[in-house]
Amino acid sequence: MQAQLQAVLAKAAAELPAVLLRPELEAAKARYVGPNGEFTALMKQMGAVPKEERPAVGKLINEAKGRLQVLLDEALARIAAAELAAQLGPTIDPTLPSPDPGPGTRHPLTLVREEMCRILRKVGFSVADGPEVESEYYCFDALSTPADHPARDEKDTFYLPADARFGNVSKKDPAERYLLRTHTSSVQIRTMLRGEPPIRIVSPGRVYRRDTTDATHSANFHQLECLYVDRNVTVRDLKALLDHIFAALLGKDTRTRFRPHYFGYTEPSFEVDLAAAHLPRVNKPWIEIGGCGMVDPEVFAAVGYDPERWTGYAFGMGLERLAMLLYGIDDIRYFYQNDARFLRQFA
Amino acid sequence: MKVSLNWLRDYVPLTATPEEIARAITFLGFEVEGIHATGAPRLEHVVVGEILTRARHPNADKLSVCTVDVGPAGGVKTIVCGAPNCDVGHRVLVALPGAVLPGNFAIKASKIRGQASDGMMCSPDELGLPGDHAGLLLLPDRPALGVSIQEALPGGDTIFDLEITPNRPDCQCHLGIARELAAWFRLPLTYPQERFRGDVSAAPRRPDLLAGAEVRSPEDCPYYSAHVIAGIKVGPSPAWLQDRLRAIGLRPINNVVDVTNYVMLETGEPLHAFDARRLEGRRIVVRPAGAGERLVTLDGRERTLDDRTLVIADAARAVVIAGVMGGQDSGVATDTTDLILECAIFRRQTVRAASRRLGLSTDSSYRYERGVDPHGAPEAAWRAIDLILETAGGSVVGPSFQVGGDVPWSREVVVTHDFITERLGFEVPAAEMRAAFEALELRITREDETVQPARGPAWTVAIPSWRDDLDRPIDLVEEVLRLHGTERIPPATVVAPGLAAEDDPVVRFNRQATDYLVGHDFHECVNYTLRPARELSTWTAAAELPGLALANPFVDDQTHLRSSLIGGLLESLRLNQARGVPVARLAETGRVFLAREGEVVECVAAAFVVAESSGERSWLRRESADFFNARHHVAALAGLAGLRMGPLAPAAAPGWQAGHAALAADSRRGWWAGAGLVDLALTRSLGIEGRVQAGFVALMPELLPARAGARRFQDFSLFPAALRDLALIVPEPTPAGEVMARVERAARQAAGANFTFEGTTVFDVYRGPGVPEGHKSLAFNLVFRGKERTLTDDEVNAAFQRLQDESLAGTAWQIRR
Repeated sequence: MQAQLQAVLAKAAAELPAVLLRPELEAAKARYVGPNGEFTALMKQMGAVPKEERPAVGKLINEAKGRLQVLLDEALARIAAAELAAQLGPTIDPTLPSPDPGPGTRHPLTLVREEMCRILRKVGFSVADGPEVESEYYCFDALSTPADHPARDEKDTFYLPADARFGNVSKKDPAERYLLRTHTSSVQIRTMLRGEPPIRIVSPGRVYRRDTTDATHSANFHQLECLYVDRNVTVRDLKALLDHIFAALLGKDTRTRFRPHYFGYTEPSFEVDLAAAHLPRVNKPWIEIGGCGMVDPEVFAAVGYDPERWTGYAFGMGLERLAMLLYGIDDIRYFYQNDARFLRQFA
Repeated sequence: MKVSLNWLRDYVPLTATPEEIARAITFLGFEVEGIHATGAPRLEHVVVGEILTRARHPNADKLSVCTVDVGPAGGVKTIVCGAPNCDVGHRVLVALPGAVLPGNFAIKASKIRGQASDGMMCSPDELGLPGDHAGLLLLPDRPALGVSIQEALPGGDTIFDLEITPNRPDCQCHLGIARELAAWFRLPLTYPQERFRGDVSAAPRRPDLLAGAEVRSPEDCPYYSAHVIAGIKVGPSPAWLQDRLRAIGLRPINNVVDVTNYVMLETGEPLHAFDARRLEGRRIVVRPAGAGERLVTLDGRERTLDDRTLVIADAARAVVIAGVMGGQDSGVATDTTDLILECAIFRRQTVRAASRRLGLSTDSSYRYERGVDPHGAPEAAWRAIDLILETAGGSVVGPSFQVGGDVPWSREVVVTHDFITERLGFEVPAAEMRAAFEALELRITREDETVQPARGPAWTVAIPSWRDDLDRPIDLVEEVLRLHGTERIPPATVVAPGLAAEDDPVVRFNRQATDYLVGHDFHECVNYTLRPARELSTWTAAAELPGLALANPFVDDQTHLRSSLIGGLLESLRLNQARGVPVARLAETGRVFLAREGEVVECVAAAFVVAESSGERSWLRRESADFFNARHHVAALAGLAGLRMGPLAPAAAPGWQAGHAALAADSRRGWWAGAGLVDLALTRSLGIEGRVQAGFVALMPELLPARAGARRFQDFSLFPAALRDLALIVPEPTPAGEVMARVERAARQAAGANFTFEGTTVFDVYRGPGVPEGHKSLAFNLVFRGKERTLTDDEVNAAFQRLQDESLAGTAWQIRR
């Protein structure tokens, strides 16, 4: 009996390692432990074994059975591993370049705009929007721009024909003309007309000037303006906002200064200069970055706010100019050419 | 505007350096665009020498070897010189060894072509002075030998180039700037003292020179004055006057014209002088020009006028375009002996319109357009008369004429210390505010105590006539702040009470669309809104183009508002390809303008292009983009806008390739979408290599939801799904979407209330053997699931049979088995 068991095990040990496919293994398994299997046949002989020898023979059979099962398990594991290995192609060369495009990139103007909006949101500003086609009222009249002001001249501002009809851009007076907004201040007017103070908005957006395109001028460009209307808003608050914005954008060592200036819709008005370390391509201690001031009482009157009760400030700047300063870009036209070598540099 | 420091010092004893003065001007509110020093530069070891001998250089044709006597500065030097005018006897400036000339050019004793040279004789250019560099700077005044350049050349000046803001017409002159600087530095201001003060009662009467002045349109000319000076002698101005004008870049002409210019630059009041003999009928008439009336202006050009242009005329014809420019044959000439001096105020708008129409801007029109103080006009005329008498002789004769100008100036503004403090947000002592007003000649006529809880005084401030910009208390806040110094605004933290409102839906959509597109490997682009008509016509129906045209375009390729972002993206694609930059995916968000019910609506939009050929070869091929990629992105973008796009219909619109693109729109609600292949002929005509897939969504901003709609959880079954496949043979033209909709409806009915139909997709589209000609087979896999138990085969089979019957009912479709 022992010899027979040894023979079957030896045969299995010789045969099973060569089995490579699952059906062959099943067949082999049937040949040994199936109903008609060799090992099964040996186990059936147990009945003929004398009673006193049974414990010893039983032990031998169990040992043999265990060893056979190990052989079968090994064969199965080997096959399973081979099956998984078959799912793989050749090993990869991780140094080959990916054929896929990308990554995608945000335009530098978007990056600068979103960064400014993020900074402003933290101090309570929400982002407002308004139409790019505007009427004379919202772009000029409500901002106390005199009727004969040069900015309104057809030489400087794009107008639409007198019979142009814009379904979703409201006019104050049916007789006024449509134009392409020259600043995003029109959004301030629309926002103030729509709601009540306190108001704290930032309005980034595209604006238009009838200008020759060159390294620093573009027929359309982007502005970002802030408006805050509340009780007891002061010049000092305005200065604090600008200090905050530019310190957050350019670092704690950034300083701003105000120079008195004139704008029709703020009083007093200032131009804003900033001084920051590490700005590329800047060789002056102070760089002009925008204009600001306290909202003129006439503007409040135009939108129906009581100038005795409400005070406010406004600040505006060009986004291209800011991006040019931030990144050291020396030609505004790059923003509108979309050369991928330009776009990939900022995202 | 150019301002001379020497000139300013006539009125205010400035001792600060030019840099300190520029800084003061800056913080007073005027931009300093440039500072230029004139006169001799401060150079060491540059002295006067005289050329004693000149000989040709033995080794160079164009060089001379000179001996030059620099007197006490070093005796006789040998100097090699290349200038043609180094003639014996000239006194010149010699840079001796040790001198450092502009441009960091150090002078050393050296050998030039073998000949020792002990310094350099200088041209103006080499000294940093205006003039040519072809020859030496000669000193005809023969200053003493050896004296320094500063002693040898006349005294210098500093010229500030200023930008005057439109609210400050009073600063368009030296007196105005001097007044501001006097206030800043707290120095006294000395006004010119006129000797002639308008009184002609004792003067001889010469009505033969001027008999009358009449203003026919007083609205355009609220003040007109004419004085007559007889017996003058026209000639060159004295040196001081010429120097003043030259310093700020004006060419001296003759004593009379120079005086009128000088007084304008001093006081800001434009003046004009006529030759009395050349006025027909001895009359001045201020009137609108006749239509088509002609006048040859001082610049020699004949101008045709219209009746909106105001002119100064004599009895016969126009002689001056009011406030803009005089006529050529009525002005002061060398033989003029009697003159009429005009000092007038013209309405700003009248002058601006005339200047615009004629394309003629002058120092005079510039000042009138911005506003001239009407109450300063008489003094300006008196001042000019003083100076004419001083430089050209003659005497004032009567009668003189004044028309208008009889409204006296008076304005007072009441402001409190507390008001100013509240607006500033920081404390400025009342005494400092008071001092600021006084320094700016804003006289405090009254000071009152205010009632508690107010703390400071209330001031009644008299506004001088030249400060028409000061009208309200807030205007005086600025004056206090200017003199306090905007650099001294104390720092503070931003106080931000409460949370911000939501961002505008347009902003959120643009942000989400950009995030999506960038996340899908697109490069975000920014293109111009204004496009050429030829580009737009490829995307817009011809009838809609006029609605997008600008009234006054500036350049030919920016005449229309864009109706699509894709035109710009294709241009960007072309540019990258042309530059050899491999790029496949470009996207943009922004405004487009679309026709809707006879109007144009401004829409928010997102669009993209995918070039099949990016120009980049790769070791591993990827499937190129197709319609279904494009439509996938469009559906996602529409979803971000809250739109349910529904099925797209094959595109029959300009720009798209027929049969390979599809559009969906609801122009009544105000949205448009499309995806697919850009017209191949268009792509090729643009010079783009390969095919381009594109997609867009555009919608009226009003459609964007103010906030995301409420979401509610729906329970789902955890039991196993039952799957069935169904293939239907349908006629080729039948859209798959129609078949699918029918199958889905039938499946839902078949499932009934007992279990759930979870959906279907198309897993095969087949044409070929087994499917009749002109037909296709669409294969759907259907997913059923029990809500609370595992479904049995029998019930699913029964439902599947009902589904098949229902799908086919009333159609010629067949089951493919």
